[in-house]
Amino acid sequence: MIRQFGVIDVLFLVSAIRWTVLLTLAAFGGGALIGLLIAVMRVSNVFALRALAICFIQFVQGTPLLVILFVFFFGLPIFGLPVLPWIAATAAFSIYAGAFLGEIWRGALQTIPRTQWEAGSSLGLSFVEQLRWIIIPQAVRIAIPPTVGFLVQLIKNTSLAATIGFVELTREGQMTTASTFQPFTVYITVAFFYFLMCFPLSQWSRTLERKLHVAA
Amino acid sequence: MSYTFQFRDVFASWAFLMQGLGITLYLSTVTMLLGLAIGVAGASARLYGGLFLRSAVGAYVEVIRNTPLLIQLFIVFFGLPSLGLRLDAMTAALISLTINLGAYSVEIVRAGLQAIPKPQIEAGYSLGLSGFQVFRYIVILPALKLMFPALASQFILLMLATSIASQISVPELFHAASIIQSRTFRDFEVYSVIAVLYLTLALTLRGVFATIYQLAFSQR
Amino acid sequence: MSLLEISNVTKKYGEVTVLDDVSITVEAGEIIAIIGRSGSGKSTLLRCINGLERVQAGSIVVDGVRVNDPQTDLRKLRQHVGIVFQSYNLFPHYSVARNITLAPTVVKGMPEEKAREIAIDVLRRVGLEDKVDAYPNQLSGGQQQRVAIARSLAMQPKLMLFDEITSALDPELTGEVLKVLEDMARSGMTMALVTHEMGFARRFAARVLFMHQGKVWEEGRASEVLANPRTPEMKTFLSAVLH
Repeated sequence: MIRQFGVIDVLFLVSAIRWTVLLTLAAFGGGALIGLLIAVMRVSNVFALRALAICFIQFVQGTPLLVILFVFFFGLPIFGLPVLPWIAATAAFSIYAGAFLGEIWRGALQTIPRTQWEAGSSLGLSFVEQLRWIIIPQAVRIAIPPTVGFLVQLIKNTSLAATIGFVELTREGQMTTASTFQPFTVYITVAFFYFLMCFPLSQWSRTLERKLHVAA
Repeated sequence: MSYTFQFRDVFASWAFLMQGLGITLYLSTVTMLLGLAIGVAGASARLYGGLFLRSAVGAYVEVIRNTPLLIQLFIVFFGLPSLGLRLDAMTAALISLTINLGAYSVEIVRAGLQAIPKPQIEAGYSLGLSGFQVFRYIVILPALKLMFPALASQFILLMLATSIASQISVPELFHAASIIQSRTFRDFEVYSVIAVLYLTLALTLRGVFATIYQLAFSQR
Repeated sequence: MSLLEISNVTKKYGEVTVLDDVSITVEAGEIIAIIGRSGSGKSTLLRCINGLERVQAGSIVVDGVRVNDPQTDLRKLRQHVGIVFQSYNLFPHYSVARNITLAPTVVKGMPEEKAREIAIDVLRRVGLEDKVDAYPNQLSGGQQQRVAIARSLAMQPKLMLFDEITSALDPELTGEVLKVLEDMARSGMTMALVTHEMGFARRFAARVLFMHQGKVWEEGRASEVLANPRTPEMKTFLSAVLH
């Protein structure tokens, strides 16, 4: 049955936003853990760890997100996991976020001059202690603007989860189009909602960066 | 649960995959050229244009960069027909990708142009050069050198993003993989193979661009 | 008519007055040195002379041409006024020769061969003819600064402005640059230098001007002004600088 695109469809779309946000947060959470590990591996003194981290980053950054998504979706049964879109999506996006956040945070860590590390080790602190007390606190400030910027990318990329059937905003948009036959109106509305989520974050990232450069 | 991997079926369709790869490269190249043209025009408008032009380009960049590519693709391919403009999948993909890349290119070109140190531009003016001459002799080459790495990265990102065009049935590499998957049911294998293909392509392109950069921009 | 006439020039950046009713006259062939602390307005004054900065009040006239007149073709003016900056500002993507021949060929329409002859000539004057095809990043700071001077000289200006051109150089390298300035002074070039080099000012400048808070605080013959500062501000400045 074809119906007119009305308020009720807008409400359905809005309720789907909740899943976009949840997927983003889950991916960011998983990605943050992986990213932290990767960043630390990248700056460590152990060659094998560095090499492993570099390989991971190269692999994830050199493959389309769609492919990573599909590999996880079709690979789940191999590992005995149920074939559920949300599991595949969360896993794939976490890996994706982990690689990119790892790179961003690695960059922030490397901005801290060698001399800070040396001061720490001269005081007798171990590598991990130097990281925890001296390096990471300083690096966090530098890392915030690009991290917020990446969050925007993540929100936009969750739209791809629609291709494996995860019902977030984009998928909801596809289903609404199927029942209202008004693709232009529907997708413009969907785009508008993404814009509402992303634009403020983009602006905030820019403001943060400006404040940082003035302060530094 | 045991599972046997069967890559043979995937490799049997190798030629078909290569066809898809060709479309991927075609889409990437054409989009890059057109998108870069938009980038140059947009950056010039942002730096030298009047208030209206600057705001218009600014709005364009913000809207594109804050909405997903997939939605932009759907608007062009599914949405425009209801306004009377029906496009085939390839054209719709080219248009969406170009508009998308254009927005990012505007920022890259703008950053490159603005990175030329003001003192050098002043030195040019102080020698009596006109605005156009300052741009041509002092700004352009160094700006290109600055922009090149960012543009190279953008091309690789674009090449990976063309996979999204598969969602409107453009026969590029990812779509080719989906076809093979539906024929052979070897889903994990086929997507793993194209993951490696994309990765190889990305790494190769990175090497090619690095070489071009060395050859073109290093001084004797 | 003097070559350079600055009359009652005032310049503000927003609320801050950088130049306050400044008047200076420079005759053809004369050399003046402008000294003072940073923030006294000396560099800004120089940049107003060739139109890089605009003034809010007063007038600047170079060889009969009013600089701050909106009708003035600044491009033509700048062919007669050369300026050398503290940070040399050579074009890194061009060779030394191209840095020098750029303006003559592009602005004056001179043929390449003639421009190159001039380039070699000015390079000889600054003692760097063997570096004609080198690139700026292959040269030391002192050499780059001398190339910058040569670049301005190639346009055969009537007036040369120098904005603290030795301040960014290591002490060993200032000597070679000062030697070039001495040669220019002896050959009769009209020069206005913003400088910390008191020795040079005392030997070659006809007049020294001390600027403080946007005004010309003291002015006079070099030997007198530097030996007998009249105001406490200048006394403080000289004692700090002449250590």
